[in-house]
Amino acid sequence: MIALQNIVKRYGQTDVLKGVSFTVAKGEVCVLLGPSGGGKSTLLRTINGLETFSSGEIHVDDIRLPAEQQPGRDAALVRIRCRVGMVFQQFNLFPHKTVLQNVTEAPCQVLRLPYDMARQRAMALLERVGMGHKCDAYPGSLSGGQQQRVAIARALAMNPEAILFDEPTSALDPRMTAEVTSVMADLARDGQTMIVVTHGIGFARNIAHQVHILHAGMIAESGPPSQIFENPQTAVTREFLADVRQA
Amino acid sequence: MLLLAGQMLPCSLAPAGDGLQRVRQRGKLIWGADQEGGGPFVFPSAEDPLKLQGFEVELAQVLAEALGVQPQFQQGQWDKLPDLLDRGDIDVVLNGYEWTADRARRYGATIPYYIYELQLLARTGDQTLQSWEDLAHPPDGIKKRVAVLGGSAANDYLERFYGDSVEIVSFDGVSDAMRAVELNVDGIDANLQDLPIWNFYEPGFPQLTAVGAPVGRGFYVALVRNDDQELLQALNQAILQALQDGRLRHILARYRMWNDMQMLRGLELAPQGDFVGMPEPGELGLSDSPEDEETYAAVRGAHVLWQRGGLLVRAAGMTVLLAVCAMPLAILVGLSMALLRRYGPWFLAAPATAYVELIRGTPLVLQLYVLFFLLPEIGMTVNAFWAAVAGLAINYSAYEAEIYRAGLQAIPRGQMEAALALGFSRSQALRRIIIPQATRLVIPPVTNDFIALFKDTAVCSVITVVELSKEYYIQARSTGAIVELGLLTAVLYLAMSYPLSLVAASLERRLIPEDRA
Repeated sequence: MIALQNIVKRYGQTDVLKGVSFTVAKGEVCVLLGPSGGGKSTLLRTINGLETFSSGEIHVDDIRLPAEQQPGRDAALVRIRCRVGMVFQQFNLFPHKTVLQNVTEAPCQVLRLPYDMARQRAMALLERVGMGHKCDAYPGSLSGGQQQRVAIARALAMNPEAILFDEPTSALDPRMTAEVTSVMADLARDGQTMIVVTHGIGFARNIAHQVHILHAGMIAESGPPSQIFENPQTAVTREFLADVRQA
Repeated sequence: MLLLAGQMLPCSLAPAGDGLQRVRQRGKLIWGADQEGGGPFVFPSAEDPLKLQGFEVELAQVLAEALGVQPQFQQGQWDKLPDLLDRGDIDVVLNGYEWTADRARRYGATIPYYIYELQLLARTGDQTLQSWEDLAHPPDGIKKRVAVLGGSAANDYLERFYGDSVEIVSFDGVSDAMRAVELNVDGIDANLQDLPIWNFYEPGFPQLTAVGAPVGRGFYVALVRNDDQELLQALNQAILQALQDGRLRHILARYRMWNDMQMLRGLELAPQGDFVGMPEPGELGLSDSPEDEETYAAVRGAHVLWQRGGLLVRAAGMTVLLAVCAMPLAILVGLSMALLRRYGPWFLAAPATAYVELIRGTPLVLQLYVLFFLLPEIGMTVNAFWAAVAGLAINYSAYEAEIYRAGLQAIPRGQMEAALALGFSRSQALRRIIIPQATRLVIPPVTNDFIALFKDTAVCSVITVVELSKEYYIQARSTGAIVELGLLTAVLYLAMSYPLSLVAASLERRLIPEDRA
């Protein structure tokens, strides 16, 4: 349902992405792994247009997102962003709104849902991520793990076909990481399509369907976790895993 | 508030046709003067501060009568009165304007209604200043410091004849200069003052003494627009008539201004061709008796607060009205400029930057001046109140723009990204997510500016708006109650700004939710 075709991104002379292609099927949990600076986050952010790309194209269902400065890009983005949610490393909750308002804001403003309906759905989602009791709190009073769970509920409120996770647990300590990971595992079980950029090997090994190792702007290896972790095919993957296990 | 709005200048049209015809059609002769100048010219009456008094008030009555119309006073800052004439807000300037060749070229100057001289004043008992000679060659060898009204004939006279031997100190108000001598403020030894002013104020300044003979004879004339020749002729006729029938003498005598010098006026030619002569006011049933005399009457102590406090409170209403009309506009324009600079395309961001730099880099008083006096030159006339509101709003918008720009910059990128990722359009994200957060950040600096704006409204007096500061100067100078009214004025400003601080503080608490669980 999401297909990236030969994505290239240039910053002046440097190629940050050097022609990346992969597809994500409906219900698939796809994890992007790799050393820092390999272009994982940049690649993820091209999908909903937070980053531009120089050439190639992205398909989300029947929507075609062309490269920067191509006609039709803005219109495609509007449609893609309503179908693809995102969860950020720094949560990016709206600090001037309550937890509940954070979750109802987009459905009311973008989907024009009546408030009562948006509120009902928001409460259900907050219960699902274990944050129902904090619906009237402001983000500033929540722990990182709690904020990230609210952020997941906020993304879910748009009823997205896929959710992009940009290092969702990197700013969290191990206990809070566990909270968030368990919510994500729960989503995966329910068949939520997800693309996850992470450093968490455990999540990739246990929950991912497909893992892509991104190195120096290119995919070094793709495969199910069993292949990547038990039987890596490339030197890049082996080196990366060795580095991670040492740390 | 409505009452105040009623006080504002009517929106005047660029003058067309001759002034005389216009005055007659209107049924009113609008004359401009500055109450702040005080006695004996135009000042709030000591008994009833709502009533204007002064020899020019009475002269205006005489002149208007001669034209068959009613006089109507228009307040303006003294040095800007000719500009009001150019704007068409007034028909005639009648406020102790000295005849100069330059003024006579630019405006229609009437024949004189008074011959003034300049009187040197010193502290009573100052042995080192007993004559003009002492001014030129101080007995103690220390240069004298002499106060004058800035830009006045006295100023010119001193510069011309004693420029090397004295230090000239400029003052804005005539009574301020006298008070400065009396109190020896800033080492000021003497004041060169228009004789009629001294005659009027003499009872109020027992510590001052006239030194040497009056000098520097000159003429007070009324000014009209150069085009209004018929009006000029009619006013000249009216002055001659008043001279001839003794009414002018009567008025001048009432304010202790009549002196031998005025006798010379008897040699002027009446319209009939004979000398004006010098009839006694008695012939008109008027008397020159000392009981009728008006002199400086100080109003001091608690009484002045009771008598003039209401006027200050009312003027404070104007200050509030100006500030609360101007600030929301300033914030709106400022926010727009900040948004253009931060999020707009270059062809909008660049002019916004230029606007901020231009407005921030030029003084408020100049902007008001341009709005009020120069726009009419290109056919756009704005009334004084709205020119003041617009001027303040424009000036402050530049500062609000910078404050908001800082506020917008302080919002993390992630907020915009999160909003976009949720499907918000850019403008939706700005409206719902970014601007509310920035607004909350800028409350303290914007409050700061709002309070500053309350005080900056004082500048609006240059374009005839009488707000708290101007009213204070008018009342303080006419009563001498500088301290009493000064304290009341300070209290009024504080009463305006302090609640604002409280509102801002509570707004801040309400809008910053981090502290709440």
